[in-house]
This record gives sequence, structure tokens and C-alpha cells, in this order.
Amino acid sequence: MKKMKKFLSLALALVMMVSLLAACGSKDSGKQKLIVGFDAEFPPYGFLAADGSYDGFDLAMAEEVCKRLDWEFEAVAIDWNSKDTELKSGNINCIWNGFTYNGRENDYTWSDPYVDNSIVIVVKADSGIKTLADLAGKTVMAQAASSAVDAINGNEAFKATLKEVVELPDYNNGFMELKQGTVDAVAADIGVAAYQMANNSGDYVMLDEAISSEQYAVGFLLGNTELRDAVNGELKKMAADGTMMKIAENYVDAGLVLDNLCMCN
Amino acid sequence: MTFQTMITQLGQGFGTTLSIFFLTLLGSLPLGLLVTFGRRSKFAPLRGFIKFYISIMRGTPLMLQLIVVFYGPNLIFGLSVPSNWRFIAAIVAFVINYAAYFAEIYRGGIESIPVGQYEAAEVLGYSKSQTFLKIILPQMVKRVLPSVTNEVITLVKDTSLVYVIGVVEMFTRAKQIAVAPDSPGIVTLFVAGVFYYVFNFIVAWVMERIEKRLNYYQ
Repeated sequence: MKKMKKFLSLALALVMMVSLLAACGSKDSGKQKLIVGFDAEFPPYGFLAADGSYDGFDLAMAEEVCKRLDWEFEAVAIDWNSKDTELKSGNINCIWNGFTYNGRENDYTWSDPYVDNSIVIVVKADSGIKTLADLAGKTVMAQAASSAVDAINGNEAFKATLKEVVELPDYNNGFMELKQGTVDAVAADIGVAAYQMANNSGDYVMLDEAISSEQYAVGFLLGNTELRDAVNGELKKMAADGTMMKIAENYVDAGLVLDNLCMCN
Repeated sequence: MTFQTMITQLGQGFGTTLSIFFLTLLGSLPLGLLVTFGRRSKFAPLRGFIKFYISIMRGTPLMLQLIVVFYGPNLIFGLSVPSNWRFIAAIVAFVINYAAYFAEIYRGGIESIPVGQYEAAEVLGYSKSQTFLKIILPQMVKRVLPSVTNEVITLVKDTSLVYVIGVVEMFTRAKQIAVAPDSPGIVTLFVAGVFYYVFNFIVAWVMERIEKRLNYYQ
């Protein structure tokens, strides 16, 4: 019994330490805080770096904006399906993660667009699929609640020819399904598609025809123009003085295409 | 990303998993006993309320309960929440969910004790609380241990549900590692599985030890 008591008190002490740790780190400095909600499985815009921190083109820019404005910066890896609830409940105050502006114009208060994106289709090289028309009767994967799903839904004639649209939580699963043959094609943002093609074993090709072209911007809670104006002003300055391009160059290896930085051109 | 970095990072995520696990047990094991008392209360409104609470906890997905606890205070009541609410909400949701299951397990244990023992205790002059603490509770603990072990092991695996409110524990971390540049890829998920298995093996071993220790009549 004595041994057990010892064990129990040890376990208790451990738990208390853990809860103490959890309670720390919530100090308020009174500084304005930018809490960026992003998907950590969405390279090159947001991903996990080797040192355990979160990295990505969008996060690097958000951090730079905060540095310039003397704000506190926090990046929260959210479940992408919950992004609206996270924003409305104030747990994050912007969505900045390769976030497509087209089709969502009236749902958020937006910054100016900064990246040109297109939704492309990736298939296996030996599938014989060359055009969008070849996808008739095929199964296409897209990330749930993503602009790729919106793009497919927005093109009803194209959607009608498909057998099924499979929505999965992230693109890594999509490429695994493509490899094992449970889907015939993956519809993704061009940067994500490029990254996944380079990082997944297997022979893939991107179709020349895109489903849609669109632009990325930073989304704020509808009506939060104050925060938007501050961030947007800094973003424009960063594009003008070359900082944005400099940051972008760090993410070329991760699939970022410099030509698509529309704010810089 | 090397294999070693992957293990280190999974280990960090496992820290969060462990915190959820221990804090949930710390809260739900005692709370479950209180809920059992409420469920067995002679006061009908309390009994009815506890029955309703248990049926909600068992009848709706834990994932939904996490969402309601995390967003509810702000979206339904307009309250502002502390910045570490994400983690606290996860613990609160787990504790009230698991307490409901533990309460029903305890109730089964208590009700399996023959009425004759209560009568004997009364004859011997034990008060009601003495009867419960000295005679009923020790036997109840012994009888419910295998069922409690089941729940505890399920809890280890349930912790991965917190991804839905943005708490990054080991499994979410494993999925992030799997898509990170130069990562070992899908192997990460299997390594995460090994973490879970080894931990559950230890949990089962500890519970078996406790069972043996309590097996004092044989």
C-alpha cells in the first residue's frame, strides 16, 4: 500500500506540474495581437518546420507585419473545417493561409489579393487523362471546405460529368488515395499540387487546363476594417519595398511560384 | 527532417496527449463517484437531472461535445474566454464525458453488492457513511476495475479527437510531420501508433498490478 501511495503522489505531482505549465504562457502584454488561424498541413503556406515551429510563406509574412507594427504574433493550427467558428468566436482574428478570396467576397473583410492561384488537376502519369473532358465518369478528390471544392461546384457542367467528388481533411490523404487508386484525380491549389507532386513518390502530371483561376488574400471577421486596414497597409509596403519577394524566395523549394505574387508585379 | 527530429516532435505532441490523459482521469474518476450518488439519490429532481446528463453524454459524439464546450461560451452566451481556453475546454469536455461513463460503471459495482451486507452492517451498528466507506466502496472498487481499465485505454485513444478544436496532440502532430518538407512521410503515423500501443501496454500492466493487489481474498 505504501508503494502505491508513493506512486499516486508522484503521479499527482506530475499532473499538477503539467497543469501549472498549461496555465502559464497566457500573460497579456496589452499589445495588439494578431492571432492567425492556419492549416499546418498546407505547404508552402503553412507547415511544420524541422525544429517543431510552424513555418510557411503566409506565416512568415504575418510575422513580418507584426514586427513592423510592434504587435504580438500568434499562429494557431486550426482544423480547416472550423475556420469560420474560430473567427466568429474570436479565438483567431484572421485567416491567413492560401485563403481564396473569389466566391467568398461577402463572407469576410478582405485584404488586397497577394497571390494568383489556380485550381489544377493532378493525375497519375500513366492514367491516360489529358484534359478535363477525360475526367468524365472519374472520381476526384478535393480538400473539405476548400476553394477546390468551391471551384468544382462552381463549374456545374464539369461536375455533372464526374462520378464523385471525394472530400478529405487534407491533401496528403488525397495523394495517398491517388497512389492506391481509390481516386482518379486530385483537385488542388497550384502551389499545393506542385509541393505534393515533388514530395510524394509516384509519377504524377498536372493537366494543362485549370478548373478556375482565383486569388489569395487575408480574411478578417466581416466588419473588422480597422485590423484589415492596418495589416493591408503594411502588406502593400512590403510588396513595394521588396520584402515580400525576399520572403517568398525562401519558399520556392516548398512549391511557391514567384510569378504568381500578384501584389509585387 | 530526420527520423530523430520526428521522434522528438512526436514526443512533444505526446506530452500534450499525456496531460489530457492524466488531467481527465484526475477530474473524472472522483466526479464519476459524485454523479453516481446523484444518480442513486432519493431526491427525484436530482436523479432525473443526472439521468438526463448521462444520457446526453453517452448519446452524443464526444467530438460534438468538444465543439460545444469550446465555442459555446462565446457563441451562445457572448462571454469572452481566456487565451488558453482551447486546452481547458478540451479537459472540461473530456472530464464531464468520462465522468458519465465512470458513474455508470461505479453504479453497476455498488448495486452488485448484496442487500444482506447493508443489513448486517446495520445490525453491527455501522452508520450509513461508515457502511459505504468501509464495506461497500472497497468491494465496489475491486469489482469495477476491469471495466475502468477498458475506459482508461479508450481515453488514451480518444485524446486524438481534440484536433477538432485546434489542440495539437500527438496524432495531429504526426499528420503535420507527414506533410512537412523532407519528412519520413506516412511512416510517421505508424510510429505514432507505436507510441499509443506502448503507452496502453503500460496502462494495462499497471491496472493488472492494482487488480492483483486488491485480490486479497484469494
